[in-house]
Amino acid sequence: MRRGFPRLLSLLLVTALLTGCWDHIEIEALEFAFGLGVDQVEPDYVVVVEMVKTSGGGQQAEVEPLVLATKGKSVSAAGRSLSNPAGLRAFWPHAYVFLMSEQVAREGIVPAVENIVRSRYIRSTVWVFITKDCTAEEVFKSKPPAANSVSEHLNAIALMQETISGFIPLQVWQLSQAFAAEGIAAILPTVKLVHEQGDLVPIVEGTAVFKGDRMVGWLDGHESDILCLLKGIIQRCYFVIDTKVGENEFFPITYELVGNRVEIKPQDKDGKLSVSIALDLHFSVEEMGRAPYSFRDEAFARSVQAQLATAFTHWIREFLSKTQQEYNADILGFGQLVRRKEPQVWRRLGENWDVHFRDLPVDLEVKCKVTMAGLSSEPLRVRE
Amino acid sequence: MFFWQKTKKNAPQPRGLDDLNPSLEINLHWLKADILASDETIVYRRFKTSGAKARDCVLVYADNMVKHEFLSQFVLRPMMQSSPPKHLRGEELIRYLSANVIESDGSELVARYGEIGDKIMNGVAVLLVDGCPLGIAVDAKGWPKRAVTEPPSESVVRGPRTGFSEDLGVNISLVRLKLSSPNFKTRFLYVGTQTKTKVAILYLDNVTSLDLVEEVARRIDAIEIDAVLDSGYIQEMIRDAPYSPFPTIGHTERPDVAAAKILEGRVAVLVDGSPFALTVPYLLVEAFQVNEDYYNQWMVGSFHRLIRYISYFITTSTPAIYIALISYHPQLIPTNLVVSISASRKNVPFPGIVEVILMGLVFEILREGGVRLPRPIGQAISIVGAIVLGEAAVSASLVSAPMIIVVGVTGVAGFVNPALNDIAVLIRLLFVFLAAGLGLYGYVFGTIAIVLLLSSMESFGVPYLSTMTTIRPQDIKDTVVRVPWWQMRLRPRYLATKDRQRLQRRTGSKGP
Repeated sequence: MRRGFPRLLSLLLVTALLTGCWDHIEIEALEFAFGLGVDQVEPDYVVVVEMVKTSGGGQQAEVEPLVLATKGKSVSAAGRSLSNPAGLRAFWPHAYVFLMSEQVAREGIVPAVENIVRSRYIRSTVWVFITKDCTAEEVFKSKPPAANSVSEHLNAIALMQETISGFIPLQVWQLSQAFAAEGIAAILPTVKLVHEQGDLVPIVEGTAVFKGDRMVGWLDGHESDILCLLKGIIQRCYFVIDTKVGENEFFPITYELVGNRVEIKPQDKDGKLSVSIALDLHFSVEEMGRAPYSFRDEAFARSVQAQLATAFTHWIREFLSKTQQEYNADILGFGQLVRRKEPQVWRRLGENWDVHFRDLPVDLEVKCKVTMAGLSSEPLRVRE
Repeated sequence: MFFWQKTKKNAPQPRGLDDLNPSLEINLHWLKADILASDETIVYRRFKTSGAKARDCVLVYADNMVKHEFLSQFVLRPMMQSSPPKHLRGEELIRYLSANVIESDGSELVARYGEIGDKIMNGVAVLLVDGCPLGIAVDAKGWPKRAVTEPPSESVVRGPRTGFSEDLGVNISLVRLKLSSPNFKTRFLYVGTQTKTKVAILYLDNVTSLDLVEEVARRIDAIEIDAVLDSGYIQEMIRDAPYSPFPTIGHTERPDVAAAKILEGRVAVLVDGSPFALTVPYLLVEAFQVNEDYYNQWMVGSFHRLIRYISYFITTSTPAIYIALISYHPQLIPTNLVVSISASRKNVPFPGIVEVILMGLVFEILREGGVRLPRPIGQAISIVGAIVLGEAAVSASLVSAPMIIVVGVTGVAGFVNPALNDIAVLIRLLFVFLAAGLGLYGYVFGTIAIVLLLSSMESFGVPYLSTMTTIRPQDIKDTVVRVPWWQMRLRPRYLATKDRQRLQRRTGSKGP
């Protein structure tokens, strides 16, 4: 016992202390990287990093963003050149966003994202965006009105997705699933710059449509809302529709989508494949403006619902023709559905799905219902 | 060779065991020359009895240790007025005086010089009569005593206000007032070769295991020390696990707490001259129990107890976790916080561990300073310390602002558990070093080590963690929470071995 004890103790200490990897680093030696962007892949990678520079100490601590662009043979190699010559030790686990420029997206995103998916430093909850009509560097150098840094600004917007709509956010952990799935094309949200009182402000709006890992086109905010609708993602989108009231008067009325039920079914009739989409949409009236009608008037309510159905049918048709014919990217995942529901058909058509998808007939049935009218069903009346 | 060997050779033989001499003058000589020599507080009051054959008498006592009016009225006056029969002499005379003259409830005969010395030192007056080889010891104890006041170290909002004082007799009676039953037993022991301090063991005959009482008595008997000035001496001499920082013997300044512990089957030890009663066995749960838990409504009591557990976690672990997070795991801190901590540490020259130790040291110094100083100055010190030092240290970039919060929270949370606060400092230090060396991994190791230590400890045969590691419903009813009184039907299993029944039947307004 006496002789065995030191051995036992040293064995315990060795097994306890020599496992795992961790390193001691004082927190003030780190610069926190908030955002990473890839602007160019060929011939050299151009990597942009947004970090926050902390300074001061004592009671006057200051935090300001710092954007650095570096070059290298790969994303990680470019990242390393932050340490030398920039002299900063970037700390990645607190990163918020990952941006790719349109150029990178059109050339194929795999070389740019591979490192992000693999890296053990970058969290899988980082938001992924494609920059539209600008580079990642320009986005990082723009000036968000409220947040300290662009990354925080974009993170805040992405978190508010349910109420602001116009895009479908995506995080790094969903990337591989989105790009690897069979029979469905990937989409990524887009960031663009708008002028706001003399400053360039980054906003998140629209969707980049991919085919394989290459970007093939854009969807704007409204089309992204239609996409959400068809994907069954609950977003409280606003739709302002010029509604015909009475004889020939049109008033812009704002409807908020409060519920949607989507049913997409592939049908195989006599060797002819088609897809039927049944939509059941519920709206609440948010704003009526000067429209003088009361929603107690059943005829009016019915007319409004019919007009909504017409409008949505039109939009969805436009959306479908854009994705089918223009981009030929199956972002709604019709192929995936066929594969699941009609495996025999998929075996027959899967090989050349692009061709079949382009001319796939789609039956569309849209039902709209106004279920709420806020606190008053009557219009605001003003004495003449 | 050495001077003390020479003096030892020439020293006169001690008279302590010698019997008294019939001659009053010889007795007085020996008292003055040997037993009570060089003590000018001893009063020798000479007087004579009346009657035909007046006897020479001397009343010997220590000044200010006796009730002077009592001696004058009930010893001196009857003696002076008495005229004992002529034929009485020697022992018969003394017995006559003790039986017929002295009007005191406490008197006994003493025969040896040594006894006289001890008695006089304890506030007893000794009456010597010429021609008698015996003396009469008259109990007239009357030294200044502190009144029974509220104990400063354990004040309560709701509960009895009495606290122990320095007098053993008073203290025993304070406990007896709470437990007025013939089953309440006391046993006296004397400790200290110089002080012969009286120590009392208090227990309930029908609840406490007699083995426990015997063990306590045995350990106290085995103490060989020259003096016992406070119960702290005994506490340290008889405790289990002497090298563990955790207390294995409880102490309290309140009779109600002592009585409650005795009722649970514990033994209380009172030491003359100390207002702190010791209670054994002492378990870790007791450090988190406060008498007010039992006097307040049970939900409130349970909540306060939970707060105490949480505070102890905070006071032992906050600095260690903070160090581990900022030096090893910055990815675990929320982003906004990590940036602001980083910014506030930008110009601080020291690593986190130095900061923690520096500020912890300052805090302990301030606390110690505040404790020892008179109360008004102590308050001033703590305010100066908290505001001026903290502010100045931050603006001078000596420490970072979050560290002030960490140290402040740690310190304040420590005051919630006074019984374990001193150990909390040690545990905190251990955790901080481990966290600084190994991060959260090290902190976890430290916690495991503490749990191992605790579970290996015992107090008077009772495992230190018992009732905390059990799943028996009756035993956990008074641990992390305090269930209502009508639920606590039995006394703790580990302590009360004889009569475990606390509630005789289902009583209380809403017993289930």
